[in-house]
Amino acid sequence: MAPTTTTKTTEETSQTKAGPPKLSDMADSIDESTFEQILEMDDDDDRDFSQGIVFGFFEQAGSTFEKMEKALYEKKLSDLSSLGHFLKGSSATLGLSKVKEACEKIQHYGAGKDETGTVDEPDQSISLKNIEKTLTQVKEDYQEVEEFLRKFYGVEES
Amino acid sequence: MEGGQTSTSSNSGPSGNSSDFVRKLYKMLEDPSYSEIVRWGDEGDSFVVLECEKFTKTILPRHFKHSNFASFVRQLNKYDFHKVRQNNEENGQSPYGPNAWEFKHPEFRANSKESLDNIRRKAPAPRKQARDHDDSVPTQQIDLLNQQIVAQQQQIQHLSDRYAQLTVDHQLMLQEVMRVQKTVLNHENVIHQLMTYLLSVDARQRRDSKTAAPFPAQGQAGSTLSPSQVTPMDDEPSSPLQQASKLLNDMHSEMQFNLTGVDQLGEAKPTTVVSTPTNGMVRAPTAGNPATLVYPTTTPKMNGEMDTVVYPVGATNGIDPMYSEHVNNVPYPMPPKAEIESGDARRQFPDNRKKSTNVDPGWMRSPHILLVEDDATCRQIGGKFLYSFSCVIDTAFDGLEAVNKIQDGSKYDLILMDIIMPNLDGVSACHLIRQFDRTPIIAMTSNIRSDDIQLYFQHGMDDVLPKPFTRKSLLDMLEKHLVHLKTIPPGMEAPQPAPAVPMAAQGSAAQSVKEDSSPGQSPAASMSNWQSPGQFHGMAVHPSIPHVQGQYAAATPGAPVAYAVDQNGVQYPAPTVALAPAGAAAPQPAVRPPHRRQVSEMSSAPDNPNVTKRPRMYAQPAQTMVNPVQARTG
Repeated sequence: MAPTTTTKTTEETSQTKAGPPKLSDMADSIDESTFEQILEMDDDDDRDFSQGIVFGFFEQAGSTFEKMEKALYEKKLSDLSSLGHFLKGSSATLGLSKVKEACEKIQHYGAGKDETGTVDEPDQSISLKNIEKTLTQVKEDYQEVEEFLRKFYGVEES
Repeated sequence: MEGGQTSTSSNSGPSGNSSDFVRKLYKMLEDPSYSEIVRWGDEGDSFVVLECEKFTKTILPRHFKHSNFASFVRQLNKYDFHKVRQNNEENGQSPYGPNAWEFKHPEFRANSKESLDNIRRKAPAPRKQARDHDDSVPTQQIDLLNQQIVAQQQQIQHLSDRYAQLTVDHQLMLQEVMRVQKTVLNHENVIHQLMTYLLSVDARQRRDSKTAAPFPAQGQAGSTLSPSQVTPMDDEPSSPLQQASKLLNDMHSEMQFNLTGVDQLGEAKPTTVVSTPTNGMVRAPTAGNPATLVYPTTTPKMNGEMDTVVYPVGATNGIDPMYSEHVNNVPYPMPPKAEIESGDARRQFPDNRKKSTNVDPGWMRSPHILLVEDDATCRQIGGKFLYSFSCVIDTAFDGLEAVNKIQDGSKYDLILMDIIMPNLDGVSACHLIRQFDRTPIIAMTSNIRSDDIQLYFQHGMDDVLPKPFTRKSLLDMLEKHLVHLKTIPPGMEAPQPAPAVPMAAQGSAAQSVKEDSSPGQSPAASMSNWQSPGQFHGMAVHPSIPHVQGQYAAATPGAPVAYAVDQNGVQYPAPTVALAPAGAAAPQPAVRPPHRRQVSEMSSAPDNPNVTKRPRMYAQPAQTMVNPVQARTG
């Protein structure tokens, strides 16, 4: 715990909000222990490693969402499924639980299943509709997490 | 008919003029009434038999004096007519219908009677006879033969494929066996380390117990202090230990034999062969489990015997050293023997030391890991984790790259393989790699339903690391599959696990072996009981020991030390008084009442006089007995 709270906002940029952001405030969206173990991989004096990964993930997520939109527009369910799987992996690795869960749902919907992946959903239009809904939701969730993490690393979005 | 035919043709022979046969043929085709049965082809450069049956029955006899279509065809062949193939071929569409036969000769055309002269019989061939036979064989039969040849070729191909496959399998099996052998060897090393360690512990205990030996006497007198613990340990464990090492030696040869057996059989499924031993191996290092847990897994066969071997060590288990009643009921085997053994043990001890100093808690060398992962985030984090475990990491973006790397001869100790990847998925990649390489492959995936996992194993993967992996799960996986790169498991040379066994003795009732495996407070506490002589000091053990020992050694030189001690309780007072009057008040109270107070007295004043005295009185025996003790105190 200690290391997470110590470093962050020292960089000149932020100090905007009251108090430094705490991982525990985001318990819904971020699995603390998973994220912690990545933070533990940082060197003692900076957060370069984890920051690199997290910001890499931002890019990845951004482009994946774009691809999802496109696939949704083109009604390519299988593309949506594999995109969901793809983003699920990296978000899970970072412990971004909300995003991960949504991606999993998209993966299942795209595979013509219900959200748990257990029951077949033969109607493509229902699957597409479900994905559309989930995608909208996950982008909001993701936005929240990204904002938080940017603050956490003391880099406000310009 | 044959005869007629041949005569016709031989008449016309290879003369300059066109042959009868050709002329007849031409004439036949000029008859428009046959057009439903036989006629010129649409192009006029060939002729077509439309209705084979009618042609054979009605026209052939009329023009050629026979009704054998095959002969007719043979005749045509002799004049170098060629059947237009597509007619006969199932797939080819004949413009004249499926049953039509179309024949062609470059010089045989409608309205071109002159060119008939150019149609000659083919070279008359001395092998005419043979030819006849050949020709009589319908094309179908040739096709049939061809098919047979093709089929045989396929069979041969199949066989050679199978052979290749078997060779590969055999290779794999051999590698597998090698690996198992290596694992077994590692196992044995572990056991030996363990044995040497136990022996050393045993030796130490015996030394301690020797020093403490007199005390049970006092214990009997009413005190139940810790030195008494030692007594039951004294000779008991040594023989089981000896037995154990003997068993191990026997096992060793047996093992070798078994392995050759396996080698010959070569039947076992790779996966099972691999996974069981590794599993077994792993437990010991990772958990740092107490020795007893290692044994069963390592050599399941030995279980029966090993149990008896292992338990006595811890066990003093059945004998509660703290429980005074036990103290005197412990049967003492021959102490002289014990002394010899302790000598042995001590000899082994230094060896053990040497080994354990070599030990590096980590890897013997950095493991080379190939991380196959298409997702940058996972790749980075996985790589970082691996790096933190001091692994050397190579990465591949997808299955194809991984296969290429292995194919190019890169050697790894372990491959971590994502399953869903672009270009080539992990399962296929693994399947391919398995054709020529046995490096352990771990599936890293979030798809871990049982049928998924079954699929992974079917294609030669060794294990599954569920995603998202944690640092710990990754490390566990490495330790599980890279046991051979581990130096001696840390638990081995670190004191705590091994003493945990004797510890069980201390806690006799409460502490099971399992509990020991979770290092808690108790091991530490009991350890001090056992190993640090401190306690004994506190009790002023040594002052009195030399005393007693000296006495009895002198009195009954051949008698068992322990035994003497036992009796001590009864007989002690008198001699002591007699012998050590110089010890002032010491001897008398020393025997019976609680020591504490006495200790201080003895250790300060009376001790020294005694010690100095003894050499004078009982020169040799006393000396030997005292020395170890003094070494400890100092």
